[in-house]
Parts: sequence; C-alpha cells; structure tokens
Amino acid sequence: MTRERIDVFLTGATGFLGHYLLAELLAPPHVRCRVLLRPPVSASCARLGRLLAGFGLNLSALIAENRVVPVEGELPDSLNSADLGGIDLVLHAGGNTAFQANGSDEPARTNVAGTKAMLTLARDAGIPRFVFVSTAYVCGEQVGHLPEAVYPTAPPLRNDYERSKWEAEQLVWDWGRRNGVARICRPSILFGDSRTGRASAMKGLYLVARATEVLARAMDGNHDADRHHIQLRILGRGDATCNVIPIDWAAKQIVRIALDPATESSVHHVTNPDPPTHQEVKQWLEAYFDIAGGRFDDATWPLADANHYEDLFYSLGNICLDYFRHGLTFESQCAANVPSGQRLIDGASFAQCMKYAQATNWCRNRIDETDSVAPAGGIDPKWYFESFLPRAVPRSVVAKVQELTAVVQYTITGPNGGSWISRFDRGQLKETHAVPTALTPEFEYRLSYEDLVDVVTCRKPLQDVFFHGSAEMFGEVELALKMVPIIGEFLKEFPVVGEGIPSLAC
Amino acid sequence: MLIETTIIEENVRIQGRDRMLEGVLAYPADRAKFTALIAGPHPFLGGDMRNNVVDTLSKTLASGGGVTLAFDYGGVGESEGGPTDWPAAMSAFWKDGMIPEEHDWVDDVGAAMAATREWCDAPLVLVGYSFGCWSIANHLRDSSAHAVVLVSPNPKQHVFDDLADCDVPLLIVHSDNDFTCSVSEMMTWFESIREPKVRVQLSAGEHFFRGHEAELAKVVLEFLQGQRLPGVEQIEDTR
Ligand SMILES: NC(=O)c1ccc[n+]([C@@H]2O[C@H](COP(=O)([O-])OP(=O)(O)OC[C@H]3O[C@@H](n4cnc5c(N)ncnc54)[C@H](OP(=O)(O)O)[C@@H]3O)[C@@H](O)[C@H]2O)c1
Repeated sequence: MTRERIDVFLTGATGFLGHYLLAELLAPPHVRCRVLLRPPVSASCARLGRLLAGFGLNLSALIAENRVVPVEGELPDSLNSADLGGIDLVLHAGGNTAFQANGSDEPARTNVAGTKAMLTLARDAGIPRFVFVSTAYVCGEQVGHLPEAVYPTAPPLRNDYERSKWEAEQLVWDWGRRNGVARICRPSILFGDSRTGRASAMKGLYLVARATEVLARAMDGNHDADRHHIQLRILGRGDATCNVIPIDWAAKQIVRIALDPATESSVHHVTNPDPPTHQEVKQWLEAYFDIAGGRFDDATWPLADANHYEDLFYSLGNICLDYFRHGLTFESQCAANVPSGQRLIDGASFAQCMKYAQATNWCRNRIDETDSVAPAGGIDPKWYFESFLPRAVPRSVVAKVQELTAVVQYTITGPNGGSWISRFDRGQLKETHAVPTALTPEFEYRLSYEDLVDVVTCRKPLQDVFFHGSAEMFGEVELALKMVPIIGEFLKEFPVVGEGIPSLAC
Repeated sequence: MLIETTIIEENVRIQGRDRMLEGVLAYPADRAKFTALIAGPHPFLGGDMRNNVVDTLSKTLASGGGVTLAFDYGGVGESEGGPTDWPAAMSAFWKDGMIPEEHDWVDDVGAAMAATREWCDAPLVLVGYSFGCWSIANHLRDSSAHAVVLVSPNPKQHVFDDLADCDVPLLIVHSDNDFTCSVSEMMTWFESIREPKVRVQLSAGEHFFRGHEAELAKVVLEFLQGQRLPGVEQIEDTR
C-alpha cells in the first residue's frame, strides 16, 4: 500500500534542529520538502548538503528526485504565497536564538515578524496545518508543573528571545482559530545526538561544558594549583534540573507531531521527563575533564568578588545559568515515547557529546577541513573571496553581528591581485563580485598578496598588517576600522590551511 | 648631546579590579626621572601595547629617562576578561562606536596607574592615545599626575569634562588630517578647555601616525623636557 504524498514547507533547515527535522521528514518516502534557504541559495545549499551528508543523505540527488526543493528567501519579507502552493503543512523551525536584542531588531524580526509573514502566506495559500517550533521557556519565570497550553497573558519573561517566542505562539494559536490546525512544539534545551554525540551548534549546556574545558586547560598549565580542589562557586542548587534533550529524539517527536493527521490544534512540550540534576551534570563534567572542587552556591550573578577561576568559568557560561531551574516540570505527552527504564541523557551519552564537541573544536571547524584547504598552488585571492568567504562567513561570528550592513572592497596588489566587493546586510554576506561590478563600496582595504596570505592563514594578526605592514584603508576609514575586529574574529574562526601553509592558532 | 641609552623592557602582570592584565615596563638602566603610564587606543581598533604609537612613545620616553608602562586592556592579548558576548559587542560597536565594556577598560587604567605608582615613585605623567585619552582623563582627579599628554583625542566621541579636575600642564598632539576630528573641531574644543595647555599640530599622520611615530614621540618628549617636574631639574634628551 502506498501512502498519500505529503508536501512539507520547512523553514530553518540549515539550523541545528532544522537539518535533523529534514532528515527525519525524508525518512518515509512519501514526504517531499520545500526548504526555505537564505540567500545566496548556492551557499545555503552547500551548507545544507554538508549537514545532510552527516546522515548519509545526498542533497543533489534529493533535489534531482524532487524530494527536496530549495526556495530562496529570508523572513520576514522575501516570499510570496506562490512559493507555498500545493503544500500540506508548514513546519516553521527557522528562528533567531539571540537572547537579547542588543540594540538590533532581532530576535523579534525573525521570530515575530517572520512567523507572522509565514502565517499570512500559509493563510493565502490555503494551507491546512501550521506547525511552529517554539521553546519550553516561553514559560518565563513560572515554576510548578506547566501545562501543554498557550499562556494567554505573558508570564514574566526573562529575555527578548522568550518574549519573541511567546508573541509568536499567540499569533500561531490565533491563526489556528481562524484558518486551520495549529501545532506548537516546545522543545527544551537541545543537546547532541544520543547515538553519535553529533551536534552542529554549541549553545546552552555546551557553553557550560566549554567553560569547564577552559578551566581544565588553565589547570593543565598551572602545576601549583590542585585541579581537584578548584575554588569555584556554581550558581544554583545541586538538586535543580537542567532540561536537556537529545537533538535526534527532539526531531523525531516534532516530526511525529507535525505529521499527525489529527484535526485539533495542540501544544506539545518536547521535554525531558527525567532531566539530569545540576549535581549529575557537574559530576559528568568533572569526570570528563578530570577536575573537581566546584560547589553549589546561592550567590547571584554577577559575582561581586569572583576569583580567577570563576572569572574564567563564567566568561563563557553565565549566559545559560537561566536554564538551570528549580521547581519546574512540564506536562508532556512526548514523555510516553521515552523507552521505559531509559534516560534521554545519561553519563555515557553526555560523555559522547563532549567527545564530539572537542573533536570538532566546539563546532568552530564548521566548514569541513577540505573546504578550508587552499587549492593546490597556494592561496588564490579569487578562490578566497568568491568561494571561501561565501561558504565560511554565514557560519562565522560575522553572521551574528546583526548591525553590520556595509559594502566593502578588498584590493590585493601584486601579480596575483585583483579587486572584489562584498555586500553585507545585517551580518549576512549577500554577494561578492570581482570588480567591475555595479556595487559601490563604502570603504576599501588594500593590501599586498603576501600580507593577504599571512593574514588568512593566521600567521600575522590583521592589525599588524595595518599598523606595521602594507595594508591601507580608503573611503569611510572610520567604518573600515570598525570592521577590522570583526574580520579579526572571522580569521581566527576560519583560518585557511593548505600544503606548506601551517594553520597557526591566531 | 645624543647618548645611546640602553632601555630595559620587562613583561609585567598587573592586578586589575577583577582580572590580571599584561603590561610592558620600559626603563633606562640608570635612575628614572619620571614615570609615564601610556593608555592605548580602543581594543577594537588596534588597541594593544604593541600598537605603533604606543610602542614608539614607550621606547622614546624610556630613552628620555622615564619608566613607562604600556598594557593590554582586558580581553586583549594575554590580559584576562573582555566582552563575554563578542558578536553583541561588535554589533554595538559597529552601530555606535562604543560598547558597555569600555568602563571596564577605564578601570584597567586605574589598575595600571596604581601598579605604576608601586613600581616607581618618580613624578607621574599620563599619556593617552585615541580612546586612551578618554580612559586616562577619567582618572585625572585621583591621579596626582604632574603632566598629561593626549595624542589624537576625539572630543566628538568622548566627553572630556574631567580635564577640569586637574590643572597640571596639558599637551594635545594631533595631525592635520585626522579623520576622527577635523583641525577646526580640534581647535574649537582646545579653546574650550582649561589652562595650562599646549597644542601641537603635526602635518600628515592621520589618526594612526604611520611613518610619523618618531616625530610624534619627539614632540611629547620635548614637552616633558620643558616641564618642571618635582625633584627633576631638567629631563635630559639622552636619545
Ligand atoms: N537550540 C535550542 O536549544 C532550542 C531550544 C528550544 C527551541 N529552539 C527553537 O528551535 C528553532 C531552531 O533552533 P536552532 O537551535 O536550530 O537554531 P539555529 O541553529 O540558529 O538555526 C536557525 C535556522 O533559522 C534560519 N533563520 C534564521 N533567521 C532567519 C530569517 N530571518 N529568515 C529565514 N531563515 C532564518 C537559519 O538560517 P541560516 O542557517 O541561514 O542562518 C537556520 O536555518 C528555533 O525556532 C529555536 O527558537 C531551539
């Protein structure tokens, strides 16, 4: 018996959760996916292809078979309802996960205006079902046993991200009342794959783990200090829990909820019914990194009298303290899908995730090794600007600099030289072309080929080539200067390696 | 008379308010005549202690008889600290040209000043370059400085009200093609600030003084030579 075909429109496919959702959706042969990819679509496709390759899926083949259809667009504004024609359900997993607006209009722009735009398109295209990936933390500061229902009035919310997700839920629920079936999935904190440890983004608990690694490294180099008696106050209670869930389990639940033909709108907590306590996470981290000594403390952040170790630890980890909560449990139908006697995350799966995280340098090596290797014969500026940058920038810190909107020219002098112009819009690298092009640069960096090679391989800090080397800036020099630290961080994240070109830590 | 002076350079660690900072202490082999704390530009704009202007000032003033301390602000080089959320900080910097963490960098200047006082009790001179002008100006009230030098201050970006809190000789050095502040803006601001003060305008050099570092350092040293620092008859030019 063949099942009726289902056409899904998926947003956020290139994300940590989204590519798992796509792989899960494609598991049954009767599902086809139209995926929203941010421009330039070629770069997004290349990224998605690499992510799917991790599941043994071949994106080019899937596209050729029409099982995956890329649709170029960016929320909230660049789609029209024709893009959603013939779709049976929208699975809206695209989102911005910045906790604070920090002066930009994100995360509200993508999460609220973007969701509103998707809902309008779905309504206009007559789509009967809209599935929205929210977060369990739309509960804000509430404690107790939280129901699988929308919160009609905003609970006290702790950051701009939670607020944006709560607002989006209201829009989705309202859409359901008027237009069709609305499903809201609320995952808690996503963690690595329970089978392989695989993860494509290191957020949440990973930041705490990474902070622990930083601490362990500091102890490695300090033979006077006792690594098993570190003076570290851990803010929180040992018996409180950290609601982490494996990404593969979360994706399975969300896809099951999305494809469920029931005609009622519903809300689903995709949460861990038996989450680890802080004490357990601490023990797992201590065992993995071979350190000990931290104690739970009810001091509040920021610590007024933080010691050296606390400074090191919290320089990375304070951001997710919010999610170490006491007295919070979630009603969850998904709990029934945890095999009895098993925990979603235990010491062994946690250690596997740590291993994966370290092996991928905490996801800093986000483009494959082969992609950051210069072509044989050395670094060709054309390859660097036209091929490497479009692949690397979207995965880099630059993409998170949401205020960055600029048109930049790079001119490389000397026999291998040339000029290229890139346009950045809100941190996204929209286009790069060799000169001549219609783009008018606001500022220009001009440097020798030798300095370019030194800089992109991290042999010389960028600032050195400006203050002691050949590099010069033209046009809006103040803007050019402001971009230097941004480029500096990018170069550290994505150094080019190649034969005879050592990759040195910047 | 020009005498070759050996300068000793020593890497030092400075206890900041809540972090350790790295610094370089440079001094002549013989008795120090003054102490100079040099605060560099914004960490996002090449502000490290190896910056061309900071480095040249440090060496020149040391060869002129000073104990100089240049340091890396928190999060720069080996100094601890710095913004926790770099993308957010860079975003804010791109938008407004400043970030909230700048106040921690002002605190770093306070810590470096305290360290300087500990290492040498010769009269203190404060030298700021670019953002360093502002970070230094924030400490004038409690500094007991005997002279202040501001290289390429940017009064359009920073408020320098604290200059009124001390009446020691003040030198402002800038170039005639600094993109951060035009000559006329600089002159208007200079007119508005308290005496005693001297303004020296260099031709070319922009904001970065690339290729003009020695000329700039000479101006600063000559200014200091002209000051009557307590316990010092006259600073000799021993370069
Ligand atoms: N991570 C967690 O622990 C967690 C927990 C609970 C809920 N969630 C929710 O799960 C969803 C996915 O999170 P994630 O961790 O997978 O995030 P992620 O890795 O940052 O992925 C976000 C996805 O959304 C896309 N996107 C962002 N802004 C967009 C815009 N303006 N227009 C179109 N697409 C846009 C991104 O495209 P690019 O790849 O081109 O940037 C990416 O595909 C989000 O809605 C998030 O709120 C996440």
